[in-house]
Amino acid sequence: MDSKKRSTLLTIGAVIAGYAALRTVPSLLPEKLELEALDRPKGFRRFIAGETSGSFDAFVGLDSPDSVDVAARKAAAIERVSADICGALYGDLDMSNARIPLASFSDYYCPFCRVQTKSFADMTSKMPDQVAIAWHELPLLGDSSNLAAKAALAAKRQGAYVAFQERLMTSPFQATPEYLARLSEDLGVDGEQLVADMESPEVARELENSAALAQVFAFVGTPALVIGRTVVQGQVSDRMIRKIIDLEREEGWDLACVSA
Amino acid sequence: MKGAVSQIWAGLLSIVLGCVIILAAAGADAAESESVSNPAVTARLISAENGIAPDAASVSLGLALEYGEGWKGYWRTPGEVGLAPEINWSGSTNLKSAELLWPAPERFEAFGIENFGYSGQVVLPIRARLEDAGQPLELRARVSLLTCSTVCVPHDFELSLALPQGVGIDTNSARQIATYADRVPAVPENSDIRISVTALDARDSALIVVATSDTPFDEVDVFPEFGPLVTFGKPDIRLDRDKTELWAQIPINAWTEEHAEPSVTIADTARAITAPITLTSDPPAPPFSSANPRTSLLKVVAVAAIAFLGGLILNVMPCVLPVLSIKLTSVLKATGQTRQMTRNGFLFSALGVLAFVWALAAVLLFLQWIGVSVGWGMQFQNPVFVTLMFMVITVFAANLFGAFEITLPAALQDRLGASNARAGYISDFGTGLLAAILATPCSAPFLGTAITFALAGTSLDVIVIFTALGLGLALPYLVIAARPELVTRLPRPGRWMLLVRILLGGLLLATAAWLLFVLVGVAGGRAAAFITSLTAVFIVAASIPQANQWVRRAVLSACVFLAIFGAGLTSTPDRTTPGVDATSHWQDFEPLGIARRVSEGETVFVDVTADWCLTCKANKSLVLDRDPVRARLRGGSVIAMQADWTRPDDNIARFLERYDRYGIPFNIVFGPGSPSGIALPEILTPQAVLDALDTASVRSLVSE
Repeated sequence: MDSKKRSTLLTIGAVIAGYAALRTVPSLLPEKLELEALDRPKGFRRFIAGETSGSFDAFVGLDSPDSVDVAARKAAAIERVSADICGALYGDLDMSNARIPLASFSDYYCPFCRVQTKSFADMTSKMPDQVAIAWHELPLLGDSSNLAAKAALAAKRQGAYVAFQERLMTSPFQATPEYLARLSEDLGVDGEQLVADMESPEVARELENSAALAQVFAFVGTPALVIGRTVVQGQVSDRMIRKIIDLEREEGWDLACVSA
Repeated sequence: MKGAVSQIWAGLLSIVLGCVIILAAAGADAAESESVSNPAVTARLISAENGIAPDAASVSLGLALEYGEGWKGYWRTPGEVGLAPEINWSGSTNLKSAELLWPAPERFEAFGIENFGYSGQVVLPIRARLEDAGQPLELRARVSLLTCSTVCVPHDFELSLALPQGVGIDTNSARQIATYADRVPAVPENSDIRISVTALDARDSALIVVATSDTPFDEVDVFPEFGPLVTFGKPDIRLDRDKTELWAQIPINAWTEEHAEPSVTIADTARAITAPITLTSDPPAPPFSSANPRTSLLKVVAVAAIAFLGGLILNVMPCVLPVLSIKLTSVLKATGQTRQMTRNGFLFSALGVLAFVWALAAVLLFLQWIGVSVGWGMQFQNPVFVTLMFMVITVFAANLFGAFEITLPAALQDRLGASNARAGYISDFGTGLLAAILATPCSAPFLGTAITFALAGTSLDVIVIFTALGLGLALPYLVIAARPELVTRLPRPGRWMLLVRILLGGLLLATAAWLLFVLVGVAGGRAAAFITSLTAVFIVAASIPQANQWVRRAVLSACVFLAIFGAGLTSTPDRTTPGVDATSHWQDFEPLGIARRVSEGETVFVDVTADWCLTCKANKSLVLDRDPVRARLRGGSVIAMQADWTRPDDNIARFLERYDRYGIPFNIVFGPGSPSGIALPEILTPQAVLDALDTASVRSLVSE
């Protein structure tokens, strides 16, 4: 009985100790903020987040091989965004009051993108005077993801971008006219306008710009993130994002823009 | 003849190939393509045959994928997000068609979103038909596939493989292809699994699947496919006793009437089936409890120790305090008793505790046997039970305030041989019984674990664990029974006893008030008023000294009788949720919506509570309704759901059972960081709640 009691106590003790260790140890290990300067684009740097970001081939989409025409448009887009990287990244964000710009690249069909998008949306509402977010659509995951991205950008033209984002996190996107009609009704936007905008050259250009930026920054997939002049791809905690934001504020994020 | 030759060839080749593989990487002749490799995935095209045999019209190929640590790939139905692999064969020569087969997938939760696919190694078998039988085959496969960890990385690459004329089997490749071809779900005709019912529930909120099998199910999962527009959450799967019948409830996250031809895949350890289905709208009720694996003796002993500890701690929980007061008064009265009598008295109290615990175990086992869901403290959902408890406690309180003396009926006393000692033992036994009964709405640390273990185990487990629990609860009585002289340390009777009596009476009155509150919750205000007045009549009748013996008895019996039947008759059928007003941050409990909320990145806090659960009330007033927890729950970043179990509710009982709980309080937090939930201990602390909320809402800690 004694040995049984002892083993029971030992078991319970070990379980409690193990649990305690599991709960405390990871948070004790400090996250390191390691940055690596990028050759291209100049002035930007990369946050080293584990192994996820390195050693992939240059970015490829899931499209069929490009026609000459498409290739030419892509090249033009790269030239366009390279000429004004900051402009392409952050567009016309309101940068007054020392806000740090953040460019989020995501795809509606990528699991982690949903989490990150939601988290960024929370962040802007919690600290509106510290960050401003530019949302980029980077549809890499096939036709549905392409159409969802176009619809999102079309909704943006009627001021319903955030509502659209929220909607897409709730229900799968359907590329049917009926679905788009219902979606427009729910979001309170003009359905015909939405469909027309989805195929508009402005939306196409916006997508091309985001894709070109992805190419310039050599993103391997989604989600991807640029905070000020720091490129982040892969797993990163909210705490680290805040750290980077603080660092950008201290050092002045627009250094990169000046040199470009 | 040809078969025999190729078999010999195969045998020879396997030896030769084996050597080649041992000596170096597969030789140039090996029937596989170059491999494309990056941190997320390594891909090759492999062939079972080394060459195209004369007259061969088809060939077995496979896309061999090896995902890197932490990376996942997708099934033909990827789930809510993700993308299935695709192969474009244009540019191949002599290829008529190529059919990609899908081994049964695994389920993984990525940030609260259900996905189906593969990790580690997988081979997608490909059934290829040739244009010209026996002619060489040149394959050019343009593969697009998506891999996700925290980052989703799409891949688009080309694999080529040339199979010249020739015979011979690449045993290594053939074995790999065969292994995974075995895991491709069978058609219904070739499987001993039969899907008997697939139905939508009334609100289109869940799909119910019922299936039977000749051989027992083992680790089974259910994957419905309704096209890309319909998505599902995590299924609740139950098996019957011999594991040959399956019932699954799969919450629907997104639904459309315009779905594709539906099918359901059931994947078990070494077998799987995909069957087309027709939906009915008549879902069968959940028939079984979820099956738990057998447990070892050591575990039973360990849990019995935990139960003992839990029982002991119950003594200091507020529920049992009033009973201790009854016991104390009896001790104060009994200071003149002999050592032996005191000892026996306390032994009987301990026996009373055990008797109730055993009775409870028996009732629970019986209920479990007839298929009713059971739990700790559930008897407080019954208005008759609460009525009786209310009356007993109120009468005791009146007694303590000196309204009347409790005497046993003369007939009973006669039968007991007019022995005061024995009559005293009966009341001692009753005290123990009452202590145990009143302990049930309280939950103590360790108790949940033990009860859960017992109720999920065999009948023997239930009896062992409950006995240990009873012993723990009875320990104070047993200690005094062992050393009766402890009682003599109490001061001599005197005027102070009057004070103690009033104090203890007050405690009992408070308990009665609480029971009345429970009664309002369980049976409604009307029934509570009715029973209060009956109890008042009872006490008045008992305390009028001049009353005729027979009239008094008649009135007392009538009161009890009316109360028991009246409680049922006067109770209001529906409970208007008290306390949940428009401004409250608590939302209604929607178990099926949790998965969807989490997949949207929300954090959900669930509090299962009941009016009769004292520990729940303590948690509420000490932690949940106090800052900083209240501020956090109201802050908008957390969805707080409250499940009220004051009255029986199947949804709540099932929800508890799914998390292996049989008692409340139960608090659990779901979020992107913890899609399967973080269950909190019975007794909450602000820190524990906040930590769980942080962990659940943090998105970066979980990779699957």
